[in-house]
Amino acid sequence: MPELSNDTIGVLGVIALLVLVFAGVRVYIAASLVGLLGTVAIIGWDAGAGIIGTVPHSKSIQYTFSVLPLFILIGYLAFHAGITQSLFDAARKWLGWMPGGLAIASVFANAGFAAVSGASTATAAVFSRIAIPEMQKAGYDNKLAAGVVAVAGTLAALIPPSALMVVYAIIVEASVGQLLVAGFLPGILSAVGYAAIVFVWCLINPKLGPAIPGYTWSDRIKSLPGTLPVVAVILIIFSSMYFGWATPTEAAALGAFVVFILALFNGMSMRSLYDALMETAKLTVMIFALVWSVLIFVRFLGFAGLPERFAQFIVGLDMPAWAVMVMILIGYLILGCFMDAIGMLLLTLPVVYPAVTALGYDPIVFGVIVVKMCEVCLVTPPIGLNCFVVSSVRREIPLQTVFKGALPFVIADFILIAIFLAYPDLILWLPRQMLAN
Amino acid sequence: MGASEDKGPSESGGGALGAVDRAFFSVEKLMALISALCIFALMAVGVWQVLARKLFNAPIYGYIDIVEIAMTTFAFIAISYTERLGGHVRMEIFASRMRGRLLWFVEVVGVLLSLFVVATLTYYSYTHFLRAYTAGDSTMDLELPWWPSKLLVAFAFVILFIRLLISLWGYMRLLINPGLEPVGVPLIADLDMVAEETARVGAGEQKGH
Repeated sequence: MPELSNDTIGVLGVIALLVLVFAGVRVYIAASLVGLLGTVAIIGWDAGAGIIGTVPHSKSIQYTFSVLPLFILIGYLAFHAGITQSLFDAARKWLGWMPGGLAIASVFANAGFAAVSGASTATAAVFSRIAIPEMQKAGYDNKLAAGVVAVAGTLAALIPPSALMVVYAIIVEASVGQLLVAGFLPGILSAVGYAAIVFVWCLINPKLGPAIPGYTWSDRIKSLPGTLPVVAVILIIFSSMYFGWATPTEAAALGAFVVFILALFNGMSMRSLYDALMETAKLTVMIFALVWSVLIFVRFLGFAGLPERFAQFIVGLDMPAWAVMVMILIGYLILGCFMDAIGMLLLTLPVVYPAVTALGYDPIVFGVIVVKMCEVCLVTPPIGLNCFVVSSVRREIPLQTVFKGALPFVIADFILIAIFLAYPDLILWLPRQMLAN
Repeated sequence: MGASEDKGPSESGGGALGAVDRAFFSVEKLMALISALCIFALMAVGVWQVLARKLFNAPIYGYIDIVEIAMTTFAFIAISYTERLGGHVRMEIFASRMRGRLLWFVEVVGVLLSLFVVATLTYYSYTHFLRAYTAGDSTMDLELPWWPSKLLVAFAFVILFIRLLISLWGYMRLLINPGLEPVGVPLIADLDMVAEETARVGAGEQKGH
């Protein structure tokens, strides 16, 4: 058999991984298998398998990663803490008077909830129950009501705490704290962008989302105390990372504790606590399995020298950096038709990330943009899970209506991504201030 | 692509395979519960660490060591439980369209590949533990030994290996006779089912009111 070069083994490995993943082999198994066999092919069985065997433990047992289960726990407990209803009530009373006011209220209530949860699809499920019936009662168009709830759920992955952002930081070895803080401003800008779309849409066609006047200033002020727990969690998580008075893990522990106490006060049963903890354990181990298996694959790619070669190839292209970036993002959009966010992120980053940084993009800027792109895929056909969730909760709203309703917001997302690429300081400003502190 | 949401073994039936599946699932559930409790403890220790440091200027000595040693619990020991529930990410866009023998054949191949990977990882995780045990590796501050944490990884892989053997049994009997009721294996959920499951998780909010 002819001797294969490391380059060839690397390329064959990537192809094998894609074939296995498309054939339905679990991603953590596919990545470990290809990483193991590829490394063995390059450096032999004993050395290769010996090195690979150490990866699961050595790569998982790092203090920085311990923030993940706590962020996931906050997300599950938050559903029992009764804060979504109070957030929506307050947002409705403050913003209901605007054209499309209830839809705008949904966006900002979602943004508030995103600050205590990192789970986009589950957020969409909760607001489908709370916000859509209110909008339907007020005569809102189903397309607008469902679309806005599906899209606003995606804010959870940008606004800290965000598990997706932590996973990105782990894979590219960037600062978890800086990435989380970096997502805050783009998250808020996205919320403002969605609200602007609703406002203009309803200004043009008032029948889509009539204004809800009649709330007094007293009603508004009275609605505020219910939102205080969210403010507390935001202050704890954001300020700890920004001012560095606690590590992300400690901040997440405090945040989870506050939400846990709230959930107890709200009457969470032992059964619900058990379910939340077991779901957290399940999701945590799933993410860790993906992380160490992809790091096995990364180890193999390192031996093959493929990321460097790919980066050289990308840099050598006779195209401006922004055009290459647009192509990469289009690639993500296409991949998003087949894969969910975390799988897509983990499978592509080992090869794509070195190329992107070689083009001169900042790791934090790329992190925020790629996470935003993953979230766009949650509201685009054919497998936009947020839209499936909305349609599943509100059975009277067909899936197509949800996708149609989400479309204007998806366009807004593309415009926002372009703005972030053109003005990366919008992403980097807060992390820089944090470093200055 | 996504993580299916199988509900685990049914309460009765399924013959010998069903009984083995149920018995083993109770072990897996216990391990997942330990993992879940460790996450809860991680929260409690984190809160204590911040309060003790900020209020009494007395941080827990070796806090990072304790967290790192404990991480094996939530990073690994629920791996088999999650496997049984179909909770690990896979791309189901093609597999969900397959029916009968073709589907079971693909699943058998997938499980065989998994068995090879997990067996290799078990053995080399074990040698990783042996080295730490022999050399007496320990953490920086508290000088806690690393070997129990490394042994737990090998143990989690052994449990996963046994679960995969049960899955192989389950898929093989379906491959031989596709007319049988699936037992002991996670089933592929379509997007609607995943969406419904997500909706169920999100329903917790309503219960509190």
